[in-house]
Amino acid sequence: MNPITPIINGMKITLKHMFMKPVTLQYPTERPKVSQRFRGLHGLKVSHSKAKCVACYLCPTVCPAKCITVEAGEDANHDKFASVYEIDMLRCIFCGYCVEACPVDALKMTGEFELANYNRQDFIYSKERLLEK
Amino acid sequence: MVNLTIDDKQVTAPKTATIYEAAKLNGIKIPILCHDKKLKPFGACRMCLVEVEQMKGRQIPACTTPATEGMIIRTATPDIVKARKMVLELLLLNHPLDCPVCDKSGDCDLQNLTYEYKVNSNRFTDAKFNHQIDYNNPLIERDMNRCVLCGKCARICDEIVGFGALTFIDRGIETKIGCEFDDALNCEFCGSCISVCPVGSLLARPFKHKARFWAMTKHKSVCSYCGTGCNLTLGVKDNKVLTTIYDEDQGFHKGQLCVRGRFGYQFINSDKRLTKPLVRKNGALTESTWDEALELVAARLKGGSSVAALATPRLTNEELALFKKLLVENVGTKNFDHAAGYAHAALTEGFVRSFGTSASSASILDVQKSDLLLVIKTDTYETHPVVGFEINMAVKNKDVKISILSDKRGKLSKLPGANTLVHLPGNEVVILNAIAKTIIDEKLVDASVAGVTGYADLEKMLSAYSADAVASQCGLTAADIKKMASDYATAEKALIIFPVGQAYPGHNADLASAAANLAILTGKYGKEGCGVLCLSEKNNSQGAVDMGFYAQDGGFNAAQILDACSTGAVKTLFIAGENPLVSYPDRKKVKAALDAVEFMVVSELFLTETAAMADVVLPVCSFAEKEGTFTSTDRRVQYIKPAIRAIGQTRTDFKVFADLISKLGGTAPVTAAAQFEEIAATTAGYKALSHVSLRKDGAYAPATASPALVAVQAVPVPAAETGKLSLVVGSVLYHSGTLSQNGEGPMHVCPEGYIELSRPDASASKIAENDIITVSTTNGSMQLKAKVTSRMPAGVVFAPYHFSDAPINTVWNGAAVTSVTLAK
Repeated sequence: MNPITPIINGMKITLKHMFMKPVTLQYPTERPKVSQRFRGLHGLKVSHSKAKCVACYLCPTVCPAKCITVEAGEDANHDKFASVYEIDMLRCIFCGYCVEACPVDALKMTGEFELANYNRQDFIYSKERLLEK
Repeated sequence: MVNLTIDDKQVTAPKTATIYEAAKLNGIKIPILCHDKKLKPFGACRMCLVEVEQMKGRQIPACTTPATEGMIIRTATPDIVKARKMVLELLLLNHPLDCPVCDKSGDCDLQNLTYEYKVNSNRFTDAKFNHQIDYNNPLIERDMNRCVLCGKCARICDEIVGFGALTFIDRGIETKIGCEFDDALNCEFCGSCISVCPVGSLLARPFKHKARFWAMTKHKSVCSYCGTGCNLTLGVKDNKVLTTIYDEDQGFHKGQLCVRGRFGYQFINSDKRLTKPLVRKNGALTESTWDEALELVAARLKGGSSVAALATPRLTNEELALFKKLLVENVGTKNFDHAAGYAHAALTEGFVRSFGTSASSASILDVQKSDLLLVIKTDTYETHPVVGFEINMAVKNKDVKISILSDKRGKLSKLPGANTLVHLPGNEVVILNAIAKTIIDEKLVDASVAGVTGYADLEKMLSAYSADAVASQCGLTAADIKKMASDYATAEKALIIFPVGQAYPGHNADLASAAANLAILTGKYGKEGCGVLCLSEKNNSQGAVDMGFYAQDGGFNAAQILDACSTGAVKTLFIAGENPLVSYPDRKKVKAALDAVEFMVVSELFLTETAAMADVVLPVCSFAEKEGTFTSTDRRVQYIKPAIRAIGQTRTDFKVFADLISKLGGTAPVTAAAQFEEIAATTAGYKALSHVSLRKDGAYAPATASPALVAVQAVPVPAAETGKLSLVVGSVLYHSGTLSQNGEGPMHVCPEGYIELSRPDASASKIAENDIITVSTTNGSMQLKAKVTSRMPAGVVFAPYHFSDAPINTVWNGAAVTSVTLAK
């Protein structure tokens, strides 16, 4: 075989791919469309302009990674609410049991997957950060 | 015993058992909501329905049907399960499904049964209730919307606590549990109703929303307040004691607690706890290290008999024994004492000369087995509420008669048939002597007295104490005294109960001997339901006596130690847990002594008034952080183990004493268990005991009585001057010593000191409830809030001694009765 042929064949494929639509997603300029069932960052649902969470402690109970910290408080109407709600994203395994256990549908998992950070402390998501915007 | 068949299993049960109890005894579980071990059968919830072969055709409630010979019972036939499901459906009809916000969730009988019987839907529909929730008090929340009307709260409040705060009100579907006039709850807040509530209708507010039941670890322990020795289960999460958990199988009291035991645990994890050693530098207490603090203390302890020590009887037996060892062997002093030096005299002097042993000759279990209780001071209920519950149950359920000798009325005198003699304060010994005299005169003396020493002397001495001669001096009639004497002497079994404590200086060795004389004269000791029960004040007061931690062989007692501090004879004072500045009589004198002493070291949980004056303050552990044993007032030795890790840099007193022994060149046992072995070898009655054998239930340390009659002359009480009132100090129900000031529960109900006076005295001096009045005696004067009640007799005022902010020892010098003037 002519020693040039394989090079030409190779270049052909290269050239072809130069003009083809790329297979990979061009992140970060292009954003993936995450599925409805994607289990990303947690979100605390809001209803009547306050968190739906009633601090029943079922999510920390069911959590296999023990990454959820809840502390309950009592508001002026003697209603129970979560005075502290923290998820340690470094420990979370995104199993979604917390969402499943929630008796009042107060918790969801959003499509948010960009969780990188510079400090370990920034991975502990407080209630304010988790509240759905 | 009866033989019966339950679920094809041949079982036996006691004759008195119901079907439910027979099944439970044999490990067969019948679901139930309205039953509690301590309460009488009620039959409210209909969950315990069973089928009985002999009563075919209907379903029988197991909790109210007695088990009889040959019964054939089935507890879980399809029909029964169907019936139970319907009961649950009907209960859930009005029950709000708010388990996520209900604190009972996880420990809720209704929730568990609903889950067990898979009641997922409801065939019926009805509106939920909309009762107002009672948030009026800081301890007990009442949400009647969740109530299943089992009636347990109302029953326990009536049958055991004897308060009757709760009852069924309204009828039919409108029925609910309420207080009088459907008003807010205002009771003694023992929380018994919370403990038995099967649902979330009654909740402990101090624990509300703190943690879920399943998230806590449960640690068995012993209450650290009074000498009753109640068992506790502490609910612990994240190294914090969050609550006390009810367990109906625990202790002689079957889980029953008072307000202090149930709501007074917050001192353990209080923010005010000391966490680092403090050393006085340039006049101010500054944080330091253990090494530095212990070096300083060890250097000052090398003073021989110029060293003295006061310890609180809240320390464990092991700690007290080790402290004594440190003082006697390594320091070389005999100057140590506890409980102000006089609160233990009834045991260490009175009972020693009358019974030959420094222990009571009866146990708390004798209360319900007796025929007659002779209670000295109604304060017995306030100092030892759970013993008070036993008295309630004895009188109400067992037809035990009760005679009370007191300087004021109290809750005990409201018991059915209670014969209360309200006498002029300070005359207890006179009356007891008059009773003894009457017993001799009316020939009610038991034959057994013939072999007892001291009869002739006693008879001679008593000639001056005939009921007719002393009645008017005591403010009673001779007939009353004679009746009390004959009641006591003719009862088949009779028990004398009296409390002792720092607030009861009149309850001394003489009172103990005078009471013991009655028991010995009538042969009422050493038998079931008989004897003299001295209720010691703190959780390990009896232990402190058993360990010999009091002035002996010429050592100074507490009062002498304080005097010696003032004169300079004592140069170093080691105070372990006591707060003399508040709890010892005569504040001025105590303050002067503590000011004068060269070097004072205090080991404490909190920076108390006394600790604030110290040169070195050592932060030590509470009962929940240490291992050891406590001896209750009836010599029940009980084992405690740590429920949480030591807080901050705190160390146990045991470790502190052991370190000091090593610093002084001695050798100390490494563990509390080893120290207890030493105790068991040297202490009478503790011989067979060890930490291992005590782990489960604890055990009684037996005491053998060798009786002797002791002639005790009453110390005359000076008659109150005209225009002056007689002040008696004492304990209030919600507090114990000064420690309970750090419990939220006790402080919610009774936050400050007060002076209680009768209506006639109040109207004579135009004093109204809550007025701030000036109380003056020869010792000083102070301001206290007035409380006007009908229980006080005219001329007598009462003040509790627990409070740092209103220390009654400003005006009280330790006399049983003090003359005071009140001014607005």
